Amino acid sequence: MSYLPGGTYFESYQDDQKWWRTPFIKGKMILMLVLLALLPYLVGSQWLSVVYTINYYILAALGVQLLVGYCGQITLGHAAFVAVGGYTSAMMVLFVPWPEWVVNWGLAYPISIVFAGFAAAIWSVLFGLPSARVKGFYLIMTTMAAQWITVPLVITQYVSQIGGRGQSFSIPDGLIKIGPWVIDSDVKIYYFSMVLVLICLIVMGNLLRSKVGRAWIAIRDNDIAAETMGVNIVAYKLMAFFVAGFFAGIAGSFYISALFFVSPEHYEWFYSLLWVGIILIGGVGSIQGVVFGSIFVVMIFKLLEISVLGASEFLMSSYPEIGWITTKFIFFKESAFGLAIIFFLMYEPNGLSYRYWQIKNYFNLWPFSYTGK
Amino acid sequence: MDLFLQLVITGIMLGSIFALVALGWVLIYKCSGVLNLAMGELTLIGGYVCLGLYQRFVTVMPINYAFITAIFGTIIIGLILGLLTERIFLRKMIGEPILAVIMVTVGLSFFFKGMVFIIWDTDTQIFLPSIFSIEPIVVAGIAVGEVYVWSFVAAILLMVIFVSFFKFTRWGLSMQACADDEMAALSLGVSAKFVYALAWAIAFMSAGVGGTLLGNINGLNYSVSHLGLLVLPVVVFGGLNSVPGAIVGGITIGILQNLTGGYLDYYFPGGIKEIAPFIFMVIFLLFKPYGLWGWERIERV
Repeated sequence: MSYLPGGTYFESYQDDQKWWRTPFIKGKMILMLVLLALLPYLVGSQWLSVVYTINYYILAALGVQLLVGYCGQITLGHAAFVAVGGYTSAMMVLFVPWPEWVVNWGLAYPISIVFAGFAAAIWSVLFGLPSARVKGFYLIMTTMAAQWITVPLVITQYVSQIGGRGQSFSIPDGLIKIGPWVIDSDVKIYYFSMVLVLICLIVMGNLLRSKVGRAWIAIRDNDIAAETMGVNIVAYKLMAFFVAGFFAGIAGSFYISALFFVSPEHYEWFYSLLWVGIILIGGVGSIQGVVFGSIFVVMIFKLLEISVLGASEFLMSSYPEIGWITTKFIFFKESAFGLAIIFFLMYEPNGLSYRYWQIKNYFNLWPFSYTGK
Repeated sequence: MDLFLQLVITGIMLGSIFALVALGWVLIYKCSGVLNLAMGELTLIGGYVCLGLYQRFVTVMPINYAFITAIFGTIIIGLILGLLTERIFLRKMIGEPILAVIMVTVGLSFFFKGMVFIIWDTDTQIFLPSIFSIEPIVVAGIAVGEVYVWSFVAAILLMVIFVSFFKFTRWGLSMQACADDEMAALSLGVSAKFVYALAWAIAFMSAGVGGTLLGNINGLNYSVSHLGLLVLPVVVFGGLNSVPGAIVGGITIGILQNLTGGYLDYYFPGGIKEIAPFIFMVIFLLFKPYGLWGWERIERV
C-alpha cells in the first residue's frame, strides 16, 4: 500500500491538497462508492430509511460544522434555517403555477431545491448579521432567537395558515419528481440523498481548501489576528452563514421528499441542539466528524428504539401487570440520550474523528506506531 | 390607563420570579463560567418536587403550613441535587471548551426532562387544595391576583436572602473572589470546587422556588420550563455577570412580556408573548452587547 508517512512526498501545496493524494485513497473511495451504490441490495428497507435519515443529518450538520468547526461562530438555531428550506421547497412545489413542460420534465422540485437553498441562506445571513459585533455566548443568543422567531412564530402562526390547511403541508404523490424519476420509494430516496450528500461534501471540501476556507479557519483560530492579516472578517463571517444556510436549505428541501409533508414539529429546538451534538460527538473541525457523528446519533436512536420495542413487548407478554411502565419508555429513551451526550463529551472530548485518525495512523506507522495518548 | 397599570404591576410581579431564576443563572455564570441551558428543567424539577411534598404534607397539617414546609423541603432537595449535579456532571468539565460545557448542560436538560416525565407524567397538575384564593386583590381599581402578590413577596424575600448571602457571608465572599479572579482566589486558599458546588446549589434552590411559584400561577406542566429560556433574554439585558442586572432585567422582561401580551396579541395572534423577549434581546444585543452592567471584555491578541 502506498500510504503516506513512509514513502510518498509532496513537492507542492497543490499536491498536498489534492483529493486523490495516493492511489490507495482513490481505491478506497471507489470501493466506498460501489458499496454505497449496492447498499439497497444488501439491507432491508427499514435500514435504508435509517441511512437516509443519517444523510439528512449529515446535510444539516454540515452547515453547523462549517460555522462552529471552521469559522468559530457558534449556532444553536440551525433547525430554523432547515425549516425555511423545507417550507420554501414545499410551497414552491405546491403553490407556484409551473408551466406544463417544467412539470413534465420534472424540473419543479430541483428548481425549488436551489431556491430553498438561497432562501435559507438569506435567512441565515440575516441572523448572522449580529456576528459582526458580538461573538461567543452572545452569538448563541441571537441564533437561538432565530430559532424562536422562525419556527414557533413565523412558521407555525403565519406560514402554516397559507391555504387554510392549518398545521402541515402534505405533498401529493408524484409531485416530487426529478427529471424522469418520481421519488416515491425508499430506494429512490436513498439514492437521491446519497447524491446530495456526496455533492455537498465535495463542495464543502473544496471550499475549505480554497482561499475562503483558509480565511474561515484564520477567523476561527484568532479573529483579531486574522483581521490584522487583511482578512475581511465581517464579509467572511457572513459568507460562512450564507454557505451554512445554503446547506441547511438543501437539507430541509431534501427531507420533504422523504416525509411527503412538512410540519413545524420537525424543526424544533431539539434538532438544533442535536446537530451541534452531532458535530461534538463526531469531532469539531473535521468533515468526517459530521459523518461519524450522524451515524452514531441515528444508530443510537435506532438501537434505543429497537431495544425499547423489544423490552415493551417482552414486558407486555410476560408481566402484563406492570405493562404501564412501557408508556414511560419514550422518556427513558430521552434520558438515555442526554446521558449519552454528557458521557461522550466527558470521556471522548475529541470526538470520533480523532479516534479514526488514531486508528488510521496506527496502521500507517506500523510497526513503529506512536499515536499519542 | 387602568389596563396599562394593571399589566405593568402584574408584569413586575411575574418579573420578580424571572429575576429569582436569573439570579441563580448569573451566580453559576459568574463563579464558574458555565452557560447553563438546563435552567428550565431545574425550574420544572423544583415545581414538581414541591408539588409532591405539598400533597404529602397537606394530609397532616393546615394548608398554609404545608405549603411553607413544602417550599423549605424543595429548597433542601434543591441544595442536595445541586451539589450532586455539580459533582457528577460539571466537575469533570472544568477547563473544557465552552461549547462542550454548553452541550453538557443541554444533555442534562434532556436527562432531567426525561426523569421528570418518568416520575410525574406529562399531564398538567395543579396544587390542590389550592393555596391562594382566586379572588383578586383590588387596590384603587387595579386588580391583582393573590398568587401574584405572594409570589412577588416570596421572590423578593429569597432574592434578599441570596444577595445578602453573596455579599455579607464568608462563603459568599469566597464566591465573589472566585468570580473576580479565579487564579488569585485559588492562590489565597479559596476552594474553587466548593464555590462551583455552592453556585449550582443556589441555582437549583432559586429555580425550584421559581418553578413552584409559576406552577401556582398557571398549573404545572412542561411549559413551566419555558421560563428557563426566558432567563437568557433577562441576563443578556442585565449583563451576564451582574446580580443587580439580573433583577432589573427580570422585572423588565416581565413587564415587556405582559405589555406585548396585552397590546400586541390582537395584531399578531398566537405566541407573540413568548417570542417578544427574544426579539427584544436581538435588537438590544446589536446596540449594547454587554447588557446594562455586564463586564466588557477587552481582548488582546
